[in-house]
Amino acid sequence: MTTVAQPTTEVNASTPRPESIRSVSVWRRRLLIGVVVAYAALLILAPLTALVSGAFAKGIGASLTALRDPAVFSAFRLTLYIAFITVAIHALFGTTLAWVLVRYRFRGRWLLNGVIDLPFAVSPVVVGYMLLLLFGRTGVLAPVLEALNMKVAFAVPGMILATLFVTLPFMAREVMPVLESFGAEQEHAAATLGASGWQTFWMVTFPALRWGFIYGVILTFARALGEFGAVLVVGGGIQGRTETLTLFIYRALDERQYVGAYSAALVLGLLSLVLVVGTELLRKREK
Amino acid sequence: MKTTFVKTVIVFIVINLLTACGGQAKTDSNTTKLILGAYTTPREAYGELIPIFAAQWKEKNGQEVTFEESYLGSGAQSRAIIEGFEADITALSLDGDVQKIADAGLITHDWHTLPHNGMVSTSIVAFAVRKGNPKNIHDWADLAQPGLEILTPDPKTSGGARWNILALYGAALRGQVKGVAANDEAAATEFLKSVLKNVTVFDKGARESITNFEAGTGDVAISYENEVLVGKQTGQDYELVIPTSTILIENPVSVVDEYVDKHGTREAAEAFVQFLFTKEAQEVFAKHGLRSLDTEVAAATQDQYPAVTDLFTIGDQFKGWEEATPKYFGDDGIYTKAIVEVQQ
Amino acid sequence: MTSITPPLTTQEPPRRAPWGRWGIQSAAWTYVTLLLLIPLTVIFQDGLKGGLGTLWQSISMPIAWSALRLTLWTSALMAVINAIMGTLTAYVLVRYKFPGKSLLNAIVDLPLAIPTLVTGVMLVVLYGPQSFIGAWLKDQMDWRIIFAPPGIILALLFVNFPFVVRAVQPVLQSLDLESEEAAATLGAGSATIFWRVTLPALWLPIASGALLSFARAIGEFGAIVIVAGNIPLRSQTAAVYVFGEVESANRQGASAMSIVMLSLAFAMVLLVDWLRKRGRKDTEE
Repeated sequence: MTTVAQPTTEVNASTPRPESIRSVSVWRRRLLIGVVVAYAALLILAPLTALVSGAFAKGIGASLTALRDPAVFSAFRLTLYIAFITVAIHALFGTTLAWVLVRYRFRGRWLLNGVIDLPFAVSPVVVGYMLLLLFGRTGVLAPVLEALNMKVAFAVPGMILATLFVTLPFMAREVMPVLESFGAEQEHAAATLGASGWQTFWMVTFPALRWGFIYGVILTFARALGEFGAVLVVGGGIQGRTETLTLFIYRALDERQYVGAYSAALVLGLLSLVLVVGTELLRKREK
Repeated sequence: MKTTFVKTVIVFIVINLLTACGGQAKTDSNTTKLILGAYTTPREAYGELIPIFAAQWKEKNGQEVTFEESYLGSGAQSRAIIEGFEADITALSLDGDVQKIADAGLITHDWHTLPHNGMVSTSIVAFAVRKGNPKNIHDWADLAQPGLEILTPDPKTSGGARWNILALYGAALRGQVKGVAANDEAAATEFLKSVLKNVTVFDKGARESITNFEAGTGDVAISYENEVLVGKQTGQDYELVIPTSTILIENPVSVVDEYVDKHGTREAAEAFVQFLFTKEAQEVFAKHGLRSLDTEVAAATQDQYPAVTDLFTIGDQFKGWEEATPKYFGDDGIYTKAIVEVQQ
Repeated sequence: MTSITPPLTTQEPPRRAPWGRWGIQSAAWTYVTLLLLIPLTVIFQDGLKGGLGTLWQSISMPIAWSALRLTLWTSALMAVINAIMGTLTAYVLVRYKFPGKSLLNAIVDLPLAIPTLVTGVMLVVLYGPQSFIGAWLKDQMDWRIIFAPPGIILALLFVNFPFVVRAVQPVLQSLDLESEEAAATLGAGSATIFWRVTLPALWLPIASGALLSFARAIGEFGAIVIVAGNIPLRSQTAAVYVFGEVESANRQGASAMSIVMLSLAFAMVLLVDWLRKRGRKDTEE
């Protein structure tokens, strides 16, 4: 028996090992990789392939024609509108929230910290329902809305609120760890040099937060693009008024417009994927 | 970099706010907007009717009328309107769902004064089976055969599903189901359970149910006759089977007073509803698989719609939706209890 | 910084005006209150209107209870499978080099990008009763995936795939290999090393990732409503049950089930947070 048995990691593949042990490890490694790849292929890749082939079932031309439907345009515009507003609000307040949670100590901090993770786990149907309880015709805030002549349920504001709810954690959760590891020393230093709180934030803290912030924005945006259940319940899917791209896909399936539905789904998926993967690549290159 | 991003976002939002992504429907002299809340099935029919009406309205009044449409399960649509979906006109699957909106105070007139008791179209409960009818389904009793896979929507959200259940139950009570004694509620309930046992999927609406069937699920779909006919028109190769005894599906339509007054669209909305009862509109309904109540149109389209041996109505058999809804679909309803007992 | 800092050292930046800090804090609290706390309060208030007794009555109705049970066991099973496969995937991505590795890494993120509705539709197309695989399984083994619990688990696995992988990956990456090398020098085989050295160091991210995917699975709607069948007592999950109750204007049923789901979600989230905090403490030691 040889003196040293090395683990089968790339890192320590320096010492030569006996043929028999080496081949066993190689096969085990191949098996492991094979199992994982097969799982990912069957679970994730296969449905994606089905989506792509469904979208192009009648050729790329048909797919593009389906996407030129004015309903697609207006649904996509609404989706983007809601997503942009959501991102803008969370960019401001989510960063503030992260700042408060990391830099300050106060009673109830643990509760605030826990509560902001909740939207990850709340069912979209429940989100929509809560908003209806608040803003529906028989809702708690109905008299207020009546007085202000505002429509929230079955209108875009309600859908924005729903999207804000489900995307709340992303910004804070991406910025917090960066803020934590950045540490307050440089901020203290800047303050002692005479910088105001605001100046300190913009010129010292924010540049260091850049990637956490950008990642938070991208994740929020991608999640907002794909929201379905909550906007369905609170918005009603009214064609021309509260129909986002996901709700359009839902309707297109009902109308047997399969090419249109799958093509729109592909657009959404690609957009989100490009955003998420693109950001990761940029971040890696930056490093 | 960040400042330009922020600036772009702000500009984008401002542009969108200015171009207004769907504001309140206020009429000005040149355009008016009507909002229609309907059930899933007549989607194509209204798709054809709306442009015809819009053209006629423009000619008569010189005004453009645009529509916003929503198609959900009848029960779901009724609930949405009550919760605040400001539909000017509602066209639902069953009268009971319109009654719910009236009970909430949103409809203050009696829509039954419209022609044909307020019913703008009718259909019947029928079955869609695979080409060649491999499972030999010809009548209600065949649905209870073990191992059969049935599709029907969920009575919680779909009006069509409620028609289906009542058609089945009514046929059983009338002695039209082989092996089930007439006027025997216990026997009818047992039969209902044996059919429910075979249900594979509860879709949210009638349209979802039939498209699921088209995708290859199940051996038979209980559905509106018009849903099956529309499917066949789009090239689906399933077959329509009409049972010996079935219920007449009557679809109401009504203006929603609260919202038309709020939007100032009463005139246009009432004109649209009147239009739906004209011969021209009724012909369009007939083109999309619906049985017209207009005698002329019905006579003209007789060949498309075979007569049913034993056709009954919700009034005949069940004393209307006021009685039927709590009795069958309430918390202690016959269906509500049956669906639980079947699985246990 | 080589200049002398003044003797005054405090926890927070000294120049910050008190009202500024108060302003920022109240902005944060207002934001969270308006968006999160108020809607949550409203639904708790609505469901508890008739007291806990009424809530229990709604939940213990056979349809509701069965939906809850189905949701819990399918989500739990999914979480276990996800924990295993997620850890293996992370291991393979961190430790090995092979062709297509970056593709695999991108695939892990895919579920986050696809709307859940589309996931459901695709799974039905691929594995439904009319598909090649679905039909074969039905004929040969009388197994049904779609419109039955296995379909639910499949959809949940798809949607929650990233969570364990991405939780384990960074920890695995930064894992100190000294212990593993030491174990190897002592003669341990690679399997032993994995079980006794690597895995124990990973249990925190695995647990928090699995719990997070469990919590998310409880509320999953878009994919499930297409894939599950929605037969009460057979294939109807809690989220779809709530949807049905909302759509048929049954507030009591909807609120009661929502409260149960929310309470479970909150408990899970607190647990995950606690685990994460422990994880950070451990790495700091």
